[in-house]
Amino acid sequence: MFDLILFFTSAILTVIGAILVVATKDIMHACVYLLVSFLGVSGLYLTLGADFVAAIQLVVYVGGVVILMVFAVMLTGGPHAQKQNKFGIVKTALMGNMRTYTVGGLIGALVLLMMVKLYLSLFKIYTPKELPEYLPTVERIGKALITDHVLAFEISSVLLLGALIGAAIIARPRKNRIN
Amino acid sequence: MTDTIVSYLANFEPFKSFLAFLTESYGANGPTIFAFLIFLVAVIIVVGALATIGGLGTYAERKISADMQARMGPNRVGPYGILQFLADGVKMLMKEDIVPKDADRFLFFIAPMLALTGVFGTLAVVPFSSGLTLTDLNVGVIYLVGIGSLVGLAVFLGGYASNSKWSMIGGMRGASQIISYEVPVVLSILAVVLLSGTLSFGGITKAQGGWPHEWFIFHNPFTFLGFFILFIGSLAESNRAPFDLPEAESELVSGYHTEFTGMRFAFFALAEYIEVFVLCGIAAALYLGGFQVPFNLGGDTIWGQLLQLGAFFSKTLALYYLVIVIRWTLPRLRVDQLMSMCWKYLTPIALFNLIGVGLWMWLFDGKSLFTLLFKSGAAAAGIH
Repeated sequence: MFDLILFFTSAILTVIGAILVVATKDIMHACVYLLVSFLGVSGLYLTLGADFVAAIQLVVYVGGVVILMVFAVMLTGGPHAQKQNKFGIVKTALMGNMRTYTVGGLIGALVLLMMVKLYLSLFKIYTPKELPEYLPTVERIGKALITDHVLAFEISSVLLLGALIGAAIIARPRKNRIN
Repeated sequence: MTDTIVSYLANFEPFKSFLAFLTESYGANGPTIFAFLIFLVAVIIVVGALATIGGLGTYAERKISADMQARMGPNRVGPYGILQFLADGVKMLMKEDIVPKDADRFLFFIAPMLALTGVFGTLAVVPFSSGLTLTDLNVGVIYLVGIGSLVGLAVFLGGYASNSKWSMIGGMRGASQIISYEVPVVLSILAVVLLSGTLSFGGITKAQGGWPHEWFIFHNPFTFLGFFILFIGSLAESNRAPFDLPEAESELVSGYHTEFTGMRFAFFALAEYIEVFVLCGIAAALYLGGFQVPFNLGGDTIWGQLLQLGAFFSKTLALYYLVIVIRWTLPRLRVDQLMSMCWKYLTPIALFNLIGVGLWMWLFDGKSLFTLLFKSGAAAAGIH
């Protein structure tokens, strides 16, 4: 019963949050609705017994991504800001030309294919088996990360370090441009 | 799954037989619903107690600051003015609820709630005693960091929604400060996690002992440093002086809650004081032995629980007192000083600590400094 309550609460939060993100016109409101949706997803992970993933979802998405988005909204400077940044990149791409339609169409087709693949399995007759007994996942994930999957772990840390250094270099004021 | 208050109660014989009776008469759902009820009661007790502590925190703040400045402080309502916070609460309720004309009403309504939600969410894993922990999640530390960051978002949204320059600057400062100081705080929490090998607060507390030499703060030189980094970082995360830049009165009127009136303002204030208590409690649980009582006095009985509660609350309130004294002692930092302190000093030291603790674990097999000294002294004296 508890699982059912948790599932329905999280599912409703996720879906309603996601719908409101799309429906609202205010981008700051969209960020708050996205937060609701992320909380719901974290609850969904909990119903599946993935406690570590749920907690990480809280830290990364609720604590990190949403705040980052809000900051990004603040730093973009609204409709009257310059269209190009200092690297000459157009900040808000023009909508409704050939390029956007092509990219949008391709992404739409990709998402459609994924959805078809996902929903095809719904039409098979599926008898649910007994769920395996709940076991804490933290230790198993930790062990797996530093034994079998250590290469993926190291590569992703190098990638993150690279991103960090790259961000620092881009954001650093250049000495010769001050004058 | 994990240790909760219900699993503690299930140690007692009458409770077990009552659960068996429920299962007989209502099927498997009976105990579940009863567990819900117990959680409800426990949550109401914990939230009520912590809200009172938050209210008393404002009183303590004013009284201690008055003491330090040779003033009287509040002394009209109740004995020694101790009921002042209730009078303030009533006053807040009666105030007119003003929303600025061009404010973002939705965010303006939701920001104080978000602050309280974030703080009350953290209460779920605070280890008050070995029995009275609402739930001892085995990912408790990560959960606390994640839920706690809602407060940062609330500060930011409160500043943004007010549509006022002061609030906006305060909110910006608050959010950037909270995000930055999360790094050294989490790194120094990680050092303790490395030592105890668990992410649950109960497990971390139980890895320590009742005596000071068994606490993690005196485990080795690195954790000794780590405690102070955690404490400084906690001060900054809860926007307390000397890091109270988001609400710097002399420059920003009152920062992110300038435009909030009545209960909305009270929500922000309450959230801040409870957050200070929670962060002090976390520091006490991680580094100062938490609820551990010497000799494990009282064991698992009710008296043992009361002793444990006493141990936890005395450590936490001592830290709380220190936080208040620091506020009325040190001047406020500048913004650039704040950021350089976080990124140039605290974060590298915390990283160094983390590596140091790892090395210590590897070299000395996780033994504490005291054990090593005592053992080598005993060996030198020929005692085995």
